[in-house]
Amino acid sequence: MEKMNEQATQKLFDKGLISKEQFDQITNYRNLNVFSLNAELKIFLYVSVLLFTSGIGILVYQNIDTIGHSIIISLIAIVTILCYYFSFKKAPKFEKNQTHFVSPVMEYIVLTANLLTCILIAYLQIQYNTFGTHYGLATIIPTAIGLLSGYYFDNKNVLSLAITGLAAYIGLTVSPQALLQNEVYNTNSLSYAAIGLGVVLIIWNYYTSKINFKTHFALILLTFAVHLIGIACVNNIIDSDYFFTFSIILGLATYYFYNSSYKIKSVSLFVFTLLYGFIGLNITLFKIIESLNLTDFFEFILVLSPFYSIGAIILFIMMIKKFNSEIKK
Amino acid sequence: MISQDKRLLENQFLVAEAHSLYKAKFITEVQFSEIQKAIPTPKKSKNILLRIGFAFLGMLLYASICGFISLLGLRIIDNSFTFFIFVYAAIGFIGAEFFVRQNHSEQGLDDSFLIIGQLLLAAGIGTITDGYELPVAFVATIVSLLTYLRYINRASILIFCIASTATIAFGMFELGALGKATLPFILMLYGLAIYFICRKLTKNFQFPFYHQGILLVKYFGLILFYFAGNYLVVRELSVVLLGNEIAPNSDIPFAWFFYIFTFIVPVAYTFYGIKLFERAILWIGFLTLGFSFYTIDYYFLEVPIEIYLTSGGLLLFAIAYFSIRKLKDKTKGITFQSDRFINSSDFLHTEALILTSQFGLKPEATIDSPMEFGGGGFSGGGSSGEF
Repeated sequence: MEKMNEQATQKLFDKGLISKEQFDQITNYRNLNVFSLNAELKIFLYVSVLLFTSGIGILVYQNIDTIGHSIIISLIAIVTILCYYFSFKKAPKFEKNQTHFVSPVMEYIVLTANLLTCILIAYLQIQYNTFGTHYGLATIIPTAIGLLSGYYFDNKNVLSLAITGLAAYIGLTVSPQALLQNEVYNTNSLSYAAIGLGVVLIIWNYYTSKINFKTHFALILLTFAVHLIGIACVNNIIDSDYFFTFSIILGLATYYFYNSSYKIKSVSLFVFTLLYGFIGLNITLFKIIESLNLTDFFEFILVLSPFYSIGAIILFIMMIKKFNSEIKK
Repeated sequence: MISQDKRLLENQFLVAEAHSLYKAKFITEVQFSEIQKAIPTPKKSKNILLRIGFAFLGMLLYASICGFISLLGLRIIDNSFTFFIFVYAAIGFIGAEFFVRQNHSEQGLDDSFLIIGQLLLAAGIGTITDGYELPVAFVATIVSLLTYLRYINRASILIFCIASTATIAFGMFELGALGKATLPFILMLYGLAIYFICRKLTKNFQFPFYHQGILLVKYFGLILFYFAGNYLVVRELSVVLLGNEIAPNSDIPFAWFFYIFTFIVPVAYTFYGIKLFERAILWIGFLTLGFSFYTIDYYFLEVPIEIYLTSGGLLLFAIAYFSIRKLKDKTKGITFQSDRFINSSDFLHTEALILTSQFGLKPEATIDSPMEFGGGGFSGGGSSGEF
């Protein structure tokens, strides 16, 4: 593969598309023969944190009524405090813009600290019933800690974790599996809460972008918002009697996210926005046909369908072309 | 044989190279867009999400065309359903040809047409032969290879890999018990053979257009080699295929060989990947090593899962931490500094996704009995229950 790239660079140089100076720079760099294990080692750190915390999580629950548990818990508490101590010590000075730890290892220490906090608080609730019947507190406290440390240490992972905590607080499960299995919520009233949380995230994102505060989190906030609103609306368009209201909400949301994806130049947001919009539109059309009792025209509609999908495809290709040329600017 | 304009394909390499040079900040943005304008290329989608989205639309289009045709043939469809399957399959290939003429390749739309077309063709053969597997796999092998050679669509070469393996496996079944017993060894040989053939083919870039496909087959060979000899796979398959009941305290024949194999091969891959500077082999090594640990855990390990996870996590952390310290300041060869040609931000996005899927907080499950073990706050613990 390397050789092929070198050939291609040579050809670009021969065609006069890159300068001699650049060509030399490139060959020099290639001759260093860099084999970077950057991503691999980071993944190792990440996987090790996940393995460790899930092991600890199981350990705590397995030993919850045995004598050894207090030792385990104090050990975990010490590890957590140590993690926080190092995080604060090594943390870059808090700024409104994106900041980085000097050592990438610290990002994962922050993550460990937060995951362990979740385990500890849940343990306190189960064993000592610390929060009494205020079960929400057991969720909202780790969430609050997660939000604060997500912003303070500038850690994407912790922030996403905290947002799932927010959703859990109002009774939603927003993990990707839940999304695929359509299990985000199971009662109808929760869909209003989902849309509400989505709107809150949008407003928060709008506010932070106005005051220029950690704007690089926009993608995370909007991604959660688009899935929350999209799923809630599509589900309600299928189930609810007021499907038309939700179609309108979805339409407005699609318009908003469409514009936002241009603003933050995110392809994934763009694709998901269009996907939800398109699914919602189709179901709405189907519902309208159903409610107007146009079943006699069913064959006619089937004949029309290839043209409809060809039209949709052409429309999407045009939109993506426009998007691609727009974000390149 | 290749359906697309070769000149355009060649240009594609140049533009791809220019793109990676631009990403590595060797050339300016202006230069890159000038290069893009100067060299015409086939339209190709780099973004996997867009490709999946278009594949989804392609399926919709495919389904509606098939629906349209069924409607026209409504009167005869009951008697000649097999014929209609072949018609549907033909639509896939006609569509693929059409997209190529439109200068689309690997853009999602053509992917879905090619894949569904091939699957339907295989299904058609299956209906004719009453579900006899060997001819189905054989036809699928030939068709996917031809499709790949013509359209250079990497999805087809993957189908080829799987179908050719299936052909060999079904062929061995024909030989009866002997064939079934020697199946792991034959598949190992097959994996090694395609690895070495492909390595030879990629060495001199005789086939620049097929280069990436051949690489894929090469890696597939390595993966097949490992799984053909993995203890867990061999043992489970011997139960399923040969009907061997493995009594407690007994083991499969040649068990010692498979034990050693399960461990040596991933380790060899990992070292080999580092030595050759081939990232993909390194990754195959990591993943197969992970599967080997799973294999041990599945059969032998008496240690409870939580100890296994915790100590594994600590060990992995130590390995990563010390490697980072060691490699931090090296500027050439193996290093921790990021390669200018590799963009690792994709991985950082996936990280958050995996995290929320495994550790996302869930709403309180049992509100009325919080004192019960595993109730209430369990879900707040962030550790999802399936571990």
